[in-house]
Amino acid sequence: MASGGGGCLPAMDLMRSEPMQLLQVIIPTESAHLAVSYLGDLGLIQFKDLNADKSPFQRTYAAQIKRCGEMARKLRFFKEQMSKAGIQISPVQLTETPLDFDDMEIKLGELEAELTEVNANDEKLQRTYNELLEYSTVLQKAGEFFYSAQRSAAAQQREMETSQSGDISLESPLLEQDMFTDASKQVKLGSLSGLVPKEKAMAFERILFRATRGNILLRQESVDEPVTDPQSGEKVSKNTFVIFYSGERAKAKILKICDAFRANRYPFPEDLGKQMHTVQEVSGKISELKATIDMGLAHRDSILKTIALEYEHWNHLAKKEKSIYHTLNMLSVDVTKKCLVGEGWSPVFATSQVQDALQRATLESKSQVGSIFQVLNTKESPPTYFQTNKFTSAFQEIVDAYGVAKYQEANPGVFTVITFPFLFAVMFGDWGHGICILLATLYLIIREKKFASQKLGDIMEMMFGGRYIIMMMALFSIYTGLIYNEFFSVPFELFAKSAYACRDPSCGDATTEGLVKIRPTYPFGVDPVWHGSRSELPFLNSLKMKMSILLGVAQMNLGIMMSYFNAKFFRNSVNVWYQFVPQLIFLNSLFGYLSMLIIIKWCTGSKADLYHVMIYMFLSPTDELGENELFPGQKTVQLVLLLLALVSVPWMLIPKPFFLKMEHERRHQGHQYAMLEGADESVVAELGEHHEESNHHEEFEFSEIFVHQLIHTIEFVLGAVSNTASYLRLWALSLAHSELSTVFYDKVLLLTLGYNNLFILAIGVFVFICATVGVLLVMETLSAFLHALRLHWVEFQNKFYEGDGYKFAPFSFALITEEEE
Amino acid sequence: MGFLITTIIFFLAGFVASCLALICCNRGPSTNLFHVTLVITATICCWMMWAIVYLAQMKPLINPILSGE
Repeated sequence: MASGGGGCLPAMDLMRSEPMQLLQVIIPTESAHLAVSYLGDLGLIQFKDLNADKSPFQRTYAAQIKRCGEMARKLRFFKEQMSKAGIQISPVQLTETPLDFDDMEIKLGELEAELTEVNANDEKLQRTYNELLEYSTVLQKAGEFFYSAQRSAAAQQREMETSQSGDISLESPLLEQDMFTDASKQVKLGSLSGLVPKEKAMAFERILFRATRGNILLRQESVDEPVTDPQSGEKVSKNTFVIFYSGERAKAKILKICDAFRANRYPFPEDLGKQMHTVQEVSGKISELKATIDMGLAHRDSILKTIALEYEHWNHLAKKEKSIYHTLNMLSVDVTKKCLVGEGWSPVFATSQVQDALQRATLESKSQVGSIFQVLNTKESPPTYFQTNKFTSAFQEIVDAYGVAKYQEANPGVFTVITFPFLFAVMFGDWGHGICILLATLYLIIREKKFASQKLGDIMEMMFGGRYIIMMMALFSIYTGLIYNEFFSVPFELFAKSAYACRDPSCGDATTEGLVKIRPTYPFGVDPVWHGSRSELPFLNSLKMKMSILLGVAQMNLGIMMSYFNAKFFRNSVNVWYQFVPQLIFLNSLFGYLSMLIIIKWCTGSKADLYHVMIYMFLSPTDELGENELFPGQKTVQLVLLLLALVSVPWMLIPKPFFLKMEHERRHQGHQYAMLEGADESVVAELGEHHEESNHHEEFEFSEIFVHQLIHTIEFVLGAVSNTASYLRLWALSLAHSELSTVFYDKVLLLTLGYNNLFILAIGVFVFICATVGVLLVMETLSAFLHALRLHWVEFQNKFYEGDGYKFAPFSFALITEEEE
Repeated sequence: MGFLITTIIFFLAGFVASCLALICCNRGPSTNLFHVTLVITATICCWMMWAIVYLAQMKPLINPILSGE
């Protein structure tokens, strides 16, 4: 199949996917790694998984993949550490020193161990440091508390002494007698101090109070600045507390409650001298620890910086190794375990490159035996591979988004490059807007290299990917804008004077009867006189509607022509005679005829009603046309066309299934001896499609094929009508675009200009720019883009495109790094 | 300028552009054919658009009536 060049055409780039072949390579085990690595550099072979039945753990190189996974984990750890420390990863250096996989593994391991140790030490030190900090705050706060308590106690004492001499006032405590008399019985009070998180402070107090039945004294004071909690290392706002209690049981209870509330306790010496001593000691320790921690951090930073230098390099290598082992796992091990057998698809043009890579691997690994390379014959359908460049790839992606082409099927992408932006521009015709978009996309294209290397946002990425599509769209928009004669909806007399003028010098009936044509037709595009006239809409509607149909019929015919090229390429004469020919006749006898009528009407200036003509062509084809006759003999022509259209329907429907059946029978009979020479190859292939894998004993499901053909026929016949109608969206969107831009221009810019006020004008200009950019340049562009997309996917591609292939996904290192980014 | 002359200009422009594509970026027969196909498609699209608008205005059935202001 598909051996004959380009069918009836010479070979054309992008028209057919690259011819592929199934390769078998047998590589000795010792050079396998190097060979696969070279093939990955080449990136032109897609390996088949020959161990699909084995689980990932049963495969030959499972251990190595595990090692790669471990390295990836270490690298992720480094990355995390670096981002925590705020160290930038340096971009890939061009001078890549060759690095051994094993060396790298050891180095990574060492670095990881060092880093974790440094981290653990740092954590420990940090915790102590935080504890000391907390301790110092507690000391400070509690000291303040004790100091003020002492002072107030002293004051009270003095007051007491003075009041004792006088009368007992109302405010004096009732128990004061006991208090002072029973001084000997007083229990020794214990105290506890510490820190508790602020949000828990209330609950803490309440629980303490309940547990000890109120036999405690609790003083709390909030710490102004949040404190770093030693356990979690997070900043928490806390309260310092001091609890006074009596008795061991109370103490035990309080300790438990403190633990439950994660309140950190710190010893607080009651003696003032001791206090001072402790404060000094703590602050000394704090500064000491601080220095140690800083040194530790500096050490860690220096480690991370050395990692940052090499990180990209290592990461790249780790990914490369992992992909190599993944690929090696797809190869099957020979019985002798001395070599690996791999199968894979590769484009025919890459044959010598693949062989060269294998040879280099053999030489460099000093293997005794060379690799064996052979082409396998297979009935499997190869993957589809188009060689695209930066210009065509975006267009090809539009096609692929609908469906990847069948192997070597005619690619609509060839025409999409032009017709897609063209149809877009038919809906988006305004050369002012076109220039705006062109400038925006030229900016992207000129700074292409810069943008390609950096990371972009989602929307920006999409814009950048489609920059050449947008450029083509802008160029065609400028062209169609010139045709529509619209520059931000304003017409210009660029190419000649308007063809119309007043009937008489006084111009009295210009607003009632209208102008008359006195000069030759405006040479390029729409006459500027139409803009703003009362008959603008009827004229433009009629023009754009007819234009949509003409463009649509042309594009659908192109689609049907593509089906002819496909049939020729696959040597399928049944498809030529029983699909292509009747389809062409059917479409053109109805809508081709309509297009012809439109043109004749324009050329003759006839007043015939085309709707009437088309409708009565079906309803009563034998009636006289009367005043609707556009050319002599029209009735006969219509009868013939109608007959042709009627005949072409069964022509599409009936013969093809019978031919398939005949072919099947012929093949079935002759099979014991030999394949018939000259048998229609793709008919055979098509037979195979309907009942795959049933080999020679398949039964021919005639009814199934017939129903299939019936659906196809109905789809085409109905589609011819609905698809033609669908092209009217060109008219609708182009109308919407021009009306919207007229509204913005007239109702915003001109209106504010009328006020003769600079401020109002400034607002008007601002609103005009916002509306133009937001509504016309962004939203209208999107909607016109989507409609152009639909016209290509449905109306154009359903005429010939099967799109049931699968994409060539080569094993390539270039693709791996791209994916990760 | 009549219909024919402009049509000829269009196709001459298309021809010149095809030649330029052949001369300026000559990258083997199959790529050249692709480029020429693109140029021809673009020429036909542009010409069709122009021709449709021109033909529609040749024998007008409605005249522009100025809005009375």
